[in-house]
Amino acid sequence: MIINALNGLVYGSLLFVLASGLVLVYGLRRVVNFAHGAFYMLGAYIGYSVAIHAGFLPGIVVAAAALIAVGVALDLVVFRKLADRDPLVTVLVTFGVMLILEDFVRTVWGTGNYAIDPPALLSGVVQIAGAPFPIYRLFIVLASAVMAGGMVIWLRYSRSGLWVRAASHSPVVAAMCGVRTNVLGPLVVGLGAAFAGVAGIVAAPFLSLNPSMGAEILVMSFVVSVIGGLGSFGGAFISAMILGQVQAFGVVYLPEIAALFPFLLMALVLVVRPQGILGNKV
Amino acid sequence: MANQTLAHSFRESPILRPSGLIVLAILTATVAILTVTGSRITLSLLAQATIISILALSVGFLARTADLISFGHAAPFGLGAYGTALVFQHGIPAEVGIWLVLVAVFALFFLIGLVVGKLNGIAFSMLTLALGQFFFVAISKLRAITSGADGLTVSLPRSLFGLPGRTYQTPDGMFIIAAVILAALVILIYLFEASRTGRLAIGVRENEERVLFLGYRTKILKAAVFATSATIAGVSGVLFALYQGFVSPEIVHWSFSGNALIMAILGGSLAVWGPVAGALVFFFLREWLSDLTEHWLAVLGVILIAVTVAWPGGMTGVAKVLRARISGRGRKGGGK
Amino acid sequence: MSFLFRCENIGKTYGGVVALKDVSLNLESGQVHGLIGPNGAGKSTFIDVVSGRTPGLGRVFFEDREITGISPSAMRRAGISRSFQRTSIFPALTVRDQIELANHGAGGGNTDELVEMLGLGAVLDTEAEQISYGQQRLVDLALALVGNPRVLLLDEPAAGLSAPESAVLSGHLEEIAERWNVAVLLVEHDMDVIFRVCKVLTVLASGRFLVQGTPADLRNNPAVIEAYFGSTA
Repeated sequence: MIINALNGLVYGSLLFVLASGLVLVYGLRRVVNFAHGAFYMLGAYIGYSVAIHAGFLPGIVVAAAALIAVGVALDLVVFRKLADRDPLVTVLVTFGVMLILEDFVRTVWGTGNYAIDPPALLSGVVQIAGAPFPIYRLFIVLASAVMAGGMVIWLRYSRSGLWVRAASHSPVVAAMCGVRTNVLGPLVVGLGAAFAGVAGIVAAPFLSLNPSMGAEILVMSFVVSVIGGLGSFGGAFISAMILGQVQAFGVVYLPEIAALFPFLLMALVLVVRPQGILGNKV
Repeated sequence: MANQTLAHSFRESPILRPSGLIVLAILTATVAILTVTGSRITLSLLAQATIISILALSVGFLARTADLISFGHAAPFGLGAYGTALVFQHGIPAEVGIWLVLVAVFALFFLIGLVVGKLNGIAFSMLTLALGQFFFVAISKLRAITSGADGLTVSLPRSLFGLPGRTYQTPDGMFIIAAVILAALVILIYLFEASRTGRLAIGVRENEERVLFLGYRTKILKAAVFATSATIAGVSGVLFALYQGFVSPEIVHWSFSGNALIMAILGGSLAVWGPVAGALVFFFLREWLSDLTEHWLAVLGVILIAVTVAWPGGMTGVAKVLRARISGRGRKGGGK
Repeated sequence: MSFLFRCENIGKTYGGVVALKDVSLNLESGQVHGLIGPNGAGKSTFIDVVSGRTPGLGRVFFEDREITGISPSAMRRAGISRSFQRTSIFPALTVRDQIELANHGAGGGNTDELVEMLGLGAVLDTEAEQISYGQQRLVDLALALVGNPRVLLLDEPAAGLSAPESAVLSGHLEEIAERWNVAVLLVEHDMDVIFRVCKVLTVLASGRFLVQGTPADLRNNPAVIEAYFGSTA
């Protein structure tokens, strides 16, 4: 029982980190980045390639650095240039970027599945309530907490975080106060991309690598966001935690249809409360 | 022009209707020539392209009428295809079965439309992706009904709607059937847009709040538009199942939806026939390019980006510009 | 004599700000009832709450039946119609098409007289985004007027109109109220229009009811003058 709940916590933490990246970018740029899942996948594959040659930690670092660069590029080349147009245009472009990245990953790494072992330091198990539980999964929760916690602290207590919150809330007023969205843009999108990429490599020993991981996690991030409310970190947290538990218990007790539960939950939320748990009224 | 909305590029213009018919005539002539002189492979490709252009039409219809971009139209398409396979499998009389499938698709997506009608553009798009994935997972997992990844064969009846079953699986036969259905749908859409309900749909798209304050219940209209778009996709799915004789989960995959969307965007939605042209070009482009490169996905991404950013009107936008140049008429009043 | 349209204790709070508190007023057929007050007094908010555009407190009665909380579309079908301060029309549709749309939604009827009265005959087949601002305001008004509504809630119909255009509009409003026996609530800043057309005025200040009376009475009312020109901004 506890083991299931813990597994749910692990998966939920990953979902939250991913959804946070989406929310961060949406808040500032009013755009849902359809390439977000591809960022996750890219981080995982890059991290994997570095890890098997140079170790896990360098893998994480290189993945983060690469994705920051990709995120910054995306903001400078796409989001900034298309800021005046209908947000749907940008969304379509990010979808195009996703296709290109999928092709890139397929070309470089092929279409097979890859598995990666956790680093020696974090392998092994711990006894929880009489059952063995992989230490690495606890690390995933810790890493996610550090990333998410760090972001919350940054947003709440730092000056640049304040600017981001201001610009996300009221871009015009913030601009009048001297906050420059175009400078914050690369920072925020780079950070969001890095979150996705790091989540990818951190999750890799737990979920393994395959060419459809990008699309799958993207859809799950959307489900988390719709249930939690687009634009809400708190909502994303609650929603991710719930979905993590649903997934963990579902896989154990009703494995055939467990994959459908998140969607059914989303449908329920849409009927009862379309703006999501903590979203603003549409 | 600041704040150029997607709706601006999807605006209907009365000038395009006669030219739409001209384009249709040219397309038909080209295709007829190819049919007579072309190889069997070309004909088969044309048949498939025509079937899929109906799917592209459904995506374009939704974009044009409701300003909504769907990333999940492979779902109703797949349901139409699987539905056809299943009704034949269970011995339901063929014609009845197919109508049943289409009615079921309409009803299902009407209900879904009622629920998601409250969502704005981006949230709606996100949702359609999730919806598509839901059906993909459902069809893949419910092996008892769908045989999962193994797929289902479509056992054609001896005769269907007055034609021998075999006709549906010959390239020339299916091409004509699909083309006729396509033409009928295009005409129906034109008629819809000229009707009062069509103008109401424009009203809802432009200013839903005011439409409410004029006494209309917009929820039902929006759900009906969504359901209609889904049913057109379902028709495409039915034809697909009949022609291919086989259905499998790939046809419900998000990449399948993505292709249809790109066809619709490539063709543009300034005129009803846009997505059809986009589908035909897409099919032949893919044939031609897949000999040259394995990076079809990346090419697709580039095409999507290029058309969305630089030519939001797609091929219909180009046609409109050409028409204006030829007739010497400049556009009065900017912002259109 | 009972009132056709009654609003009791209408209130609205945005977060911590009380935009409107306990404002009541009643409308009589054939009469234009003006709602005035300095900027921020809550006049538009009043119409928004009463017409169901935004949720709020209080109760609304039509023909002595309570209709609090019914949807805007149900309200329109019952014969209660409104116009908008920020022009809310359909840019891509022709004037004819949108008036026809409104007419159909409100139950049908002949629109020629209305079109002629508002002087929109010349632009009937022009798309709304191509016509002048003043004409767009008239289209906004036309959409509210078709279909013989019993109650009209007008939110600054003269906003953005020139002086001659406002004068013409005043004439139309008078005619509409009297000839068609409509109960009209008129929110306006333009005092010329108000004093010409309204039989009774309700004055709001800071979201609260200040005073009610005929235009003549209130012209020299010290409380009203203070509300407009007094020390509070």
